[in-house]
Amino acid sequence: MKLLSCPLNGLRNISEFTYGGEYHPTPDHRTTSSRDWAEHVFFHDNTAGIVIEWWCHTPSSFWFLAERNTLTDEVVRTFTPDELYTKPTIQHEPKPETTP
Amino acid sequence: MTNEDINVIAPTLATRRSPLYRRHLQYQARFTQVGDNVVVDSYCNETSINDEIDVAESMGLCDLSTLDRIGFKGINAPKWLDSEKFHVPVLANTAEKQVSQSLLIKLSAHEILVLSDLLFHSKDVKRLYQNAVENHQNYDQQVYTLPRNDSHCWLAVTGTNASKMFSKLCAVDLRSHKFAQGAVAQTSLAKTNAIIIRHDLNKTPCFYILSDISGLEFLWDCLLDAMSEFNGAPVGLSALQTLVSSK
Repeated sequence: MKLLSCPLNGLRNISEFTYGGEYHPTPDHRTTSSRDWAEHVFFHDNTAGIVIEWWCHTPSSFWFLAERNTLTDEVVRTFTPDELYTKPTIQHEPKPETTP
Repeated sequence: MTNEDINVIAPTLATRRSPLYRRHLQYQARFTQVGDNVVVDSYCNETSINDEIDVAESMGLCDLSTLDRIGFKGINAPKWLDSEKFHVPVLANTAEKQVSQSLLIKLSAHEILVLSDLLFHSKDVKRLYQNAVENHQNYDQQVYTLPRNDSHCWLAVTGTNASKMFSKLCAVDLRSHKFAQGAVAQTSLAKTNAIIIRHDLNKTPCFYILSDISGLEFLWDCLLDAMSEFNGAPVGLSALQTLVSSK
């Protein structure tokens, strides 16, 4: 049984994980062309070498990223998405004042 | 609680009963009412309560699925629970018994589960649910209630043979020196996703299992099958309460 190290739960059997596809930075939807969107959604690099991939630890529904060498199937490291994403700041329109 | 004190009721008359109640009836269970819910008090028709306590100390399985529990998720969930006088552990996958006797489990940095205690000393779950309804109307607070009563079943596996039995169903090493009191594993148990929590009943090893409630009958049968070589059997809440209260 292959093993994979989850950043939250530690070393677990690979059967506890689900592959989530290659990691690509999300394009800016305001400036990206349709062609680039299609590229992002439908096409994969299929690199021979070290790639970054999404993985999910299914029992805890915890998504994380793994650096994996696709030639040797060696997992170099796993890490949380915090390294690549900053926490969004939620901004709302002020609520309209209501009269009693 | 003695057999004479038990208010014996039919599970079908209660507002809320476990999906396993037909299985419990097959084992000649006696039910008791807890609020609007019923829970198996004992399986005493064939044995005495002391025999059932002996089983619980060796290899027992108890259905706690009708006891109260609640979860919270969101960036500010730990902070909010802190303001509600809970002590939230620093590390994820850790359980901590609260002063009020309820059990708080930190599943990840931003997800928390709270279980009521077996002696019903704590009213934490009901209080948290009420406070969450009143306080979490504003989306900006980033605390979201996860009602767990109907999404997850809750079983307790007790006894000195528990970790040996688990080695047949689970890849995580649950022996005492590897999986201490308060440890939590979110893993695969009998091919089913489950949260396993070590929460001993005084000197008796005890593992709480929370899993998808739709698979409860499957999990119950798997556990009983795995327990059979250790002479394991279902036990009622009364036996567990006796173990909690014993010195």
